[in-house]
Amino acid sequence: MKDKTIDMGSYLLHLIPTKRFKTITIRVCLRDTIVKEEITLRNFLASFLTYATDTYRTKRELVLHCQDLYALNISTKTYRAGKFNMMNFFMSTLNEKYTEEGMLEKSIELFADVIFHPNFNDLDKFKEAYDFLKQSTENALKGLKENPSLYSVTRMLETMGPNMPYSYREQGYLEDLNNVNLDTLKQYYQKMMIGSLVDIYVIGDFEEEAIVSLLKKYMEFDTFKRPKDSQMIYHSKLPQRTKTVIEKINGNQSKLSIGCKIGELTEFERNYVLTLYNMILGGSSESKFFQIIREKHSLAYYVYSSVTKLDHIMIIRAGITKENFNKTIKLIKKLMKEMEQGKFTEENIEFAKQNYLSLLKEIEDNENAIIETYLAKDLLNLGNIEERKEEIKKVTKEDIINVSKKVKMDTIYLLEGDKENEGD
Amino acid sequence: MKEIKLVGLDQSVFFTKLESGLEIYFIPYENKSNYAMHYITKFGSRNMEFKPIDEKKFIKVPAGIAHFLEHKMFEQEDGEDPFSFAAKTGTSSNATTSFNTTRYYFEGNMGFEENLNYLLDFVHTPYFTDENVEKEKGIITEEIKQYDDEIDWFLDEEIRKAIFHKDPVRFDIAGTEDSISEITKELLYQTYNTYYQPSNMILMISGSFDKERAMNIITTNESLKNATTNKPIEEKKEKEPEEVQAKTKKLFFNVANKKVAYVVKIPLKGVKDPYRLNLYLGLFNSIKFGLSSTFREQMKQKKLITSFYTEREIYGEYLLLSYIASSDRPEEFVAEVKKELTTLDIEESEIERLKKVWISSEVVMVDNISLTLDNILYDVITYGNIIPNKTEIYRSLNVVELKKMISKINFSNASFITVCPKK
Repeated sequence: MKDKTIDMGSYLLHLIPTKRFKTITIRVCLRDTIVKEEITLRNFLASFLTYATDTYRTKRELVLHCQDLYALNISTKTYRAGKFNMMNFFMSTLNEKYTEEGMLEKSIELFADVIFHPNFNDLDKFKEAYDFLKQSTENALKGLKENPSLYSVTRMLETMGPNMPYSYREQGYLEDLNNVNLDTLKQYYQKMMIGSLVDIYVIGDFEEEAIVSLLKKYMEFDTFKRPKDSQMIYHSKLPQRTKTVIEKINGNQSKLSIGCKIGELTEFERNYVLTLYNMILGGSSESKFFQIIREKHSLAYYVYSSVTKLDHIMIIRAGITKENFNKTIKLIKKLMKEMEQGKFTEENIEFAKQNYLSLLKEIEDNENAIIETYLAKDLLNLGNIEERKEEIKKVTKEDIINVSKKVKMDTIYLLEGDKENEGD
Repeated sequence: MKEIKLVGLDQSVFFTKLESGLEIYFIPYENKSNYAMHYITKFGSRNMEFKPIDEKKFIKVPAGIAHFLEHKMFEQEDGEDPFSFAAKTGTSSNATTSFNTTRYYFEGNMGFEENLNYLLDFVHTPYFTDENVEKEKGIITEEIKQYDDEIDWFLDEEIRKAIFHKDPVRFDIAGTEDSISEITKELLYQTYNTYYQPSNMILMISGSFDKERAMNIITTNESLKNATTNKPIEEKKEKEPEEVQAKTKKLFFNVANKKVAYVVKIPLKGVKDPYRLNLYLGLFNSIKFGLSSTFREQMKQKKLITSFYTEREIYGEYLLLSYIASSDRPEEFVAEVKKELTTLDIEESEIERLKKVWISSEVVMVDNISLTLDNILYDVITYGNIIPNKTEIYRSLNVVELKKMISKINFSNASFITVCPKK
């Protein structure tokens, strides 16, 4: 059997048949342009939908029913991809071989219940769910500083591009939480259900006809078609100078975050060259950052870089002691300069390519990672696994040098621990 | 090799013990692309007092030495470390130290043969110098500090300190800045020579590989051949009292909301089947305190919790049952937990439902090569054996036996810990 995409009218259905897994996984992905003020609301909605439904009106009833379906796993995940907000519903059920006949249909029925029948009608039960979720959201939002490493990156991005989508806090905002209520939730839910681009992915060992007819029966989407915009974020100009911000925090270790903007790239550069550039500079244990900053100079316990292609951004993160701040920055700048000067070997490139090929194979054993490759095709026009294996081989040293010249350091942010040297 | 079928899961494990005493477990899969090879010594942060082989006197080693040794094994005389070697074939390599084990692993999908050879080679080729030992102290101190700011880490450690009097699980696995400062090259060699004998080790391989080829590599590997000392390990362990060390404890930390933990200490000495007891405690916790429990609903209605979870963990001869929550009113919450713990109102139907959940989780687990390896290793270390018929055991659980086993437990032998925000 081969994978295929079927146009179901209001959504695209992607079928990925394989005998590799003992489970069948379904992902429903709704995307729409991200609006900062809606982030808190959509996160709340995502938790709310899996908390209870119109049929199973308390968390307990819903969980009991999932357990009866052999621990049917339903979850949601929201995140930002470029200019878009992605709302995902996941369902994973065992192949009926390990359970009972009819479990697949019952599982999809409940999955659809979560998506299409929110608990908006029973006001008592709504309030119960609402109060609980509000309290836990509030705690989570207040707790951002308890994760200094994440807090440091968040603050760095806010400094780098205060109004840009990449600076939006994925967790949402405390001040927006008060605007979440039955009316706003209902409105946002309606908007999402008719205004999103919808894709459904199914992976596992299934009969095509059976799965198509089940989805037709239960997935009652009624979205109107909209033209697809690009989700990419570009930078109108690259930084001439680097901003530095230092903030103090109660803690032991200092967390360093650096944001770099990346200039215009070709599709090939973005999808393949940039990946190798990052692996050689700071994206692996073989990278310059790891080998020189951590191993050779013992300046940091962790130090690595990562790129987000849709945002054209590279982020560098490190855990250091504050005394080492200047030394570390100097070294990071020097190592980035070395990339531009071509001070890396063919062996480094070969390493990175092997690493990339191995990561591709790793994907083959993970259902959700396989689905991600289909999504990446859509977002970045990134090829499938076989195409990627071929394309990566074409990257040359010169390609990498060219890309390295387009990466410019914009913002250095240090969250400075104040407890170091205590007792000295 | 002996084939052990995992009942109801379409998967087998193969086991053999070599003459050197090395235990080998193979978990070969047909439908996967990746492999995981883990080389494990039964030496962790709890092993702190022993007689070095060929010596007469017992020595006490500083807290954190197992973890320090793990770091140092990555240093090779020729300068190329395992990370670099593995990266050549896109393989990831790493190591972890727990209370009872240290393990080194390669996970990838290419270069199986050279990676397996290398794994055996480097774990049997220590290279410690005064300089490289000193340098490591800086790196590990940073690592220790990194966790100092994390509330979950902090609470976990404080729980162990409140529960245990003597057992070295009181100490953080990585030790402290002070304890690791005492570590020397000589101490590392004494420790290494004692605990890294093949007779104290386990090799587990899971995923996509050929077991004959793997066996051939193992039996012809020179480093392993040369490492074949097989001397008994003599250890001293202080007796751990049954009572908890501290009944109550109030702490302050950089948190936004109050956290509370109620942790019961259950002795396993004299328990005939600790695995079965652990399963019943698992059922008990899920039914009484899980996501589908009425307790949880009530706590939410009373606004007593914003988050709540339970844990079960075995440390040597004790099992800890933990009830951990974010709560504004810790005393009230703990009173409710205590009340619930002593009410045995469980129905057969609730057990039946959870059996489905557990059977399902076994199937999902076996689909993941690393999780399966972890689980089998856990059983071997914790219970001394692989447990191949878990789905059958789950089916045999019943309410009568549950009540009998649970009613024997003293839930008041517990520590009550609160963590408050710093002012």
